[in-house]
Amino acid sequence: MLKNTKTYFPIFKKYPDLVYLDSAATTQRPKLVIDAINQFNSFENANIHRGVYDLSNSATKNFELAREKVAKYLGSTNPKTIAFTSGTTNSINIVASSFLRPRLNKDDNVVITLLDHHANFIPWQMLAKEKEAEFRVVPIDKNGNLDLTVLEKSLDQKTKFLSLNHISNSLGTTTDIGEIIALAHKKNIPVMIDAAQSIAYYDLDIHQLDYDFLAFSGHKMFGPFGIGVLYVAEKWMKNITPYNYGGGIIKDVTIEDTTFSDFPFNIEAGTPNISGVMGLSSAIDFIHKFDKKEMIQHISDLVNYCTDQLISIDKVKIIGNPENRSGIISFVVDGIHPHDVASFLNQDNIAVRAGMHCTQPLLAAMNTSATVRVSFSIYNERKEVDQLKNSLVELIKFWS
Amino acid sequence: MVVTKEEVQALYKAHILPENNNPYHFEAKDNASTSLDAYNPMCGDKFQLHLNVKDDTFDTVHFHGFGCAISKASTSILLRKIEGISKVDAIALCEKFLKNLTEDNQVDEFDKELNTLIALKHFDGRIDCIKLPWEALLAHLMKG
Ligand SMILES: Cc1ncc(COP(=O)(O)O)c(C=O)c1O
Repeated sequence: MLKNTKTYFPIFKKYPDLVYLDSAATTQRPKLVIDAINQFNSFENANIHRGVYDLSNSATKNFELAREKVAKYLGSTNPKTIAFTSGTTNSINIVASSFLRPRLNKDDNVVITLLDHHANFIPWQMLAKEKEAEFRVVPIDKNGNLDLTVLEKSLDQKTKFLSLNHISNSLGTTTDIGEIIALAHKKNIPVMIDAAQSIAYYDLDIHQLDYDFLAFSGHKMFGPFGIGVLYVAEKWMKNITPYNYGGGIIKDVTIEDTTFSDFPFNIEAGTPNISGVMGLSSAIDFIHKFDKKEMIQHISDLVNYCTDQLISIDKVKIIGNPENRSGIISFVVDGIHPHDVASFLNQDNIAVRAGMHCTQPLLAAMNTSATVRVSFSIYNERKEVDQLKNSLVELIKFWS
Repeated sequence: MVVTKEEVQALYKAHILPENNNPYHFEAKDNASTSLDAYNPMCGDKFQLHLNVKDDTFDTVHFHGFGCAISKASTSILLRKIEGISKVDAIALCEKFLKNLTEDNQVDEFDKELNTLIALKHFDGRIDCIKLPWEALLAHLMKG
């Protein structure tokens, strides 16, 4: 188990009793990241690319160094595979509109899975509708696992794209994306991975996984809000066209026409979130302080312990029982609505999420309309699971 | 203002849980003269209000659906308040209730049940649950 990780995070100094079980929504921010953003805002602030003075040159240099660092984080030696976006949602929408829109025709199909977040659901659904293409949602089994043979059957000659998440933000299912990507590539189908829930803890080396597109958000990997990444494999870079027009993305502008820079610069129109990029860069430095295997081990220990504790409470039912569970558990309490559960846990300083978690079709398939979700990160401890259990037991007693 | 755990528990015990466990006219009446949804897509709470209106007055009213204890209790209380009153009076009640619910200070006095709902606005993050049926009904009535 990791030890004393709370000390990196100022929020736990301010609220020592806070039991934060909502890291799937956003991870807490370490001091290192907060300091990096403050440092930029206080002493290094200048716009990039356009100045010829020292501060601007240095901001530009650090911005591009961050791009290099993100590329390296994915095992890529080419920083030009990395575009900065505002987050996972933005990255997925860019691929839908800039890459797939011109390639998708009537009667083609786009494939996603029932485990996907609305961010990786609606962009493809809307595009399919617009193109009169088929929107295929691969089902899951009753435990919340993807069946690879079912998925394979959903991919055919008319499949133009497959997009899926690595970890389900609702059920916690971790999917073997390596195998799925290989399956799809055998049929020449490009694959996008929504890595929002896994990027902080898992090694997503491009050479091992060979994804075509990858999306993630800074705020779920100890970085700030409003910054995200879109990785595009070298072979597709020239197929990404601008989706948002403005300054900073052009080669040449005349009254008659405009020619654009190449990816990634052609999708970074306007002034980017420069301090956010500095924060993201230092979030990667923060993650490098830890061994990823140890982080996964730490979270897995907590999740297994929590599962056992929850099962031991009469009236608590865990939704889904995936073979490989990440640090996320959804559950319901018999007779008590998830919102009421979350409100009462809040009274005991336990922060959890209640609702549909942006996965309405998934919850419908699991025959529930809302759940309580707990999610763990490196700063959580077993004793917090005990507190969760005690509060739930007390609530159930109070309610009856 | 944040209420203490004990205060919240007392409010729940005295008013919300009884209302939640024995909601007023909790039954799907699909043949009512008017039906409308009170739906919060952020959390998935959804109630159908089935309203029988005679001569511009609410005759019998029922509701059905799924939601948290607060939204269910709030809907149940709302229905009991509007049965037998005119649409015009229902609009006035909804407006007055919502005004007192959303403004910092409660200026009007209500009966015990409505006062309880208004007190729960200090239960952080739950005001939308209280508002849900009131806003849905008001929007419906304002449409004419
Ligand atoms: C699996 C998954 N995909 C996408 C998103 C959307 O991320 P963002 O809101 O940062 O764009 C989330 C966030 O909850 C998520 O968990």
